[in-house]
Amino acid sequence: MNETQKLVEIGNIVSNWELSADVNALVLECPEIVSLAEPGQFVMIKNEMGSTYLRRPFGVADVDKDQGLLLLIYRKAGKGTKELAQLEEGAPISVEGPLGRGFSFKNEGRTLLIGGGVGIAPIIYTARHLAKDLEGPKPVILFGVRNHKELFWSDFVENFAEKLVYTTDDGSYGRKGFAIDAIPDILKDYPDISHIKVCGPTVMMKGIAELAIKQGIECEVSLEKRMACGFGVCLGCTFEGKSGKRWKVCGDGPVFDAEEVFG
Amino acid sequence: MNITRLATDFAGIKMTTPVMGASGTFGFGVEYSDFLDLDQVGAIISKGLTPLPRAGNEGVRIAETPSGMLNCIGLENPGIDVFLRDILPKVRKEAPNTAFIANFSGSSVEDYGIMAEKLDVDGVDGIEVNISCPNVKEGGIVFGTDPKAAAAVTKEVKAHTKKPVIVKLSPNVTDITVMARAVEEAGADALALINTLTGMVIDINTWKPLLGNVTGGLSGPAVKPIAVRMVYQVAHTVKIPIMGLGGIATAEDAIEFLLAGASTVAVGAENFVHPDAVVRVAEGIDKYLEEHNLSHVSELVGKVKIG
Repeated sequence: MNETQKLVEIGNIVSNWELSADVNALVLECPEIVSLAEPGQFVMIKNEMGSTYLRRPFGVADVDKDQGLLLLIYRKAGKGTKELAQLEEGAPISVEGPLGRGFSFKNEGRTLLIGGGVGIAPIIYTARHLAKDLEGPKPVILFGVRNHKELFWSDFVENFAEKLVYTTDDGSYGRKGFAIDAIPDILKDYPDISHIKVCGPTVMMKGIAELAIKQGIECEVSLEKRMACGFGVCLGCTFEGKSGKRWKVCGDGPVFDAEEVFG
Repeated sequence: MNITRLATDFAGIKMTTPVMGASGTFGFGVEYSDFLDLDQVGAIISKGLTPLPRAGNEGVRIAETPSGMLNCIGLENPGIDVFLRDILPKVRKEAPNTAFIANFSGSSVEDYGIMAEKLDVDGVDGIEVNISCPNVKEGGIVFGTDPKAAAAVTKEVKAHTKKPVIVKLSPNVTDITVMARAVEEAGADALALINTLTGMVIDINTWKPLLGNVTGGLSGPAVKPIAVRMVYQVAHTVKIPIMGLGGIATAEDAIEFLLAGASTVAVGAENFVHPDAVVRVAEGIDKYLEEHNLSHVSELVGKVKIG
C-alpha cells in the first residue's frame, strides 16, 4: 500500500460545466486533499444527495494548490454521473483522497504524454507539473479522441505542451486513426523523448506499452478498474503482474511500470 | 465516546465498543488508520484467510446494485502463513489495543481444524469461522447450508483452539434457525449473521452476467431488513451471543440489530463508502444511550417489543 496520507473532505462545487454533449468538467473546493494530491493520483467521490451507493473513482485532472481547487473531468455515462451533472455551484460532494500512487518523475529528457478517451484527464496535471513545477522540457502531448467535438482538452494543456497532436477515430480532426499511429513521427521529430506516460483504454495502453518497451523508452501506464473502496480493502481491482506479484490498482497504482502490466 | 457505556465482552472477546469492522470490508484494520482511531474500533475482523494464498476470481468483481453492491472477490488473500508471519505482527504493532478476530475458511473439515490451530496464537483474540462464502466453488457453500456439515466444522475448530469461536452463518438457507441451532449444539461460542445473499446482475447490452463469477454476494443497505429479521429469529432460538451485520450504515441501523437480539454489530460495505463508519456508528449508539438514560448498551439487546 501507499503510505501517503488520505482523508475525506466535503468539497463544495465551484463550477460544473459542459465541455461537450457527454463530457463535463467539475471544480471542487477541497484544500486539504488538493494540498496532498500528486499527478496521476485519484479521488473517490460521492454525491451524498444522489441515488447511487458506492463512491466512484476519478483521476485528478488538475489542482490549484493556492486556491485549494480540484478539477475533475467526467463522462456522463451512468446514473451517478448524470446526477452529478445536474448539481450547481455550492452543492457539497464528499471527496476521499488523494489515493494511490501517481506518475514518477525522474527528470530525464522529454516526456511524451498520451491520453485516450476520458482517461485523458490526469494528463493535464502531469503536463503542468512537468512544464511548470519541475521546469523541465515541455512534454509532447498526444490525444486520441473520437472526433472533432472532443478538442476541448487543448484549452487545459496548450500552455504546457511543446507540441499537441490529435488523432481522431473518424479523421474529422488531426490524423485519422489511433494514438499509437502517430507515435513514430513524434519520436522522429523529438529524439530527446525518454519517457512515455499513458492514460486511456487498456487496448490503447497495451499497444503503446509494447511499442515503448521495444524502443527502450521508459513507459508508465495508468490503469482503471472497478473498485468499491479505493484504498486496498475491497480487492475489487487486483491483478497479477508479469512478475507474478499481485497488485492493487487502487493502492499500488493506478500508475504502473508498463513492463509489469504489459511486458 | 463513553467507554463504560459501550465496553462489551463478546463471548470472552473484550471490546471497547460493540461495533466491529466486518470481514472482507475492513482489510486487516490498519488500512483504515488515516480515517479513524483504531482504538475506538470494537474489533477488527480480518479478510477471510485460507490455508494457501488465493488469487480470487477472474473478471469483474464489483457491481453497484440498488442501495447496495454485489461482489465476487473469491477470497483473495495471502494465505494463513503469510498472515501469521508478516501481517499479524504489523497489525498488533499499529493497533495494540483493538480486539482482533481472524476470519478463515477451508475446503475440508480437516482444513478448518488446521487453520484454527495455527490461529491459536497471541495477538488473535477470537476466530470467526466462515462457512458461508458464496463466491468460492469448493467447500464454503456446502458447509454453510448443511447443518450436519456446519456442526462438524464447528466441532473440529473447537477441538483445535482455546480462542472464542464465532461461526458466521449464511442467509442463503430456508431456515437459518436450523443452522444456528446445529452450530450452537456443536459448541460455537457465538454467531455472526448474516453473510451476503447470493445475487446476479445481467448486462442487457451484452446479454452476459456483469460479474466474472456469474453470481456474487449482495451487501449494503438493501439487505438490512433481511438481516434484522434473521437476527431476531436466531436470537429466539439460541442462547449464545450474536454479532449482527448486514447493511449497517448508521447508529440507527445498528440499534435495530441490538433490539432484535444482537449483542454486537459489524459494519460491512459501508466502510467502503464512509471509511470512518465503524467509529461513527459507535458514537451514535453512545449518544442514543445517553438520550435514553441507559447506562450500558447491553440494556438494548433483544428488547424489541412484540405484541
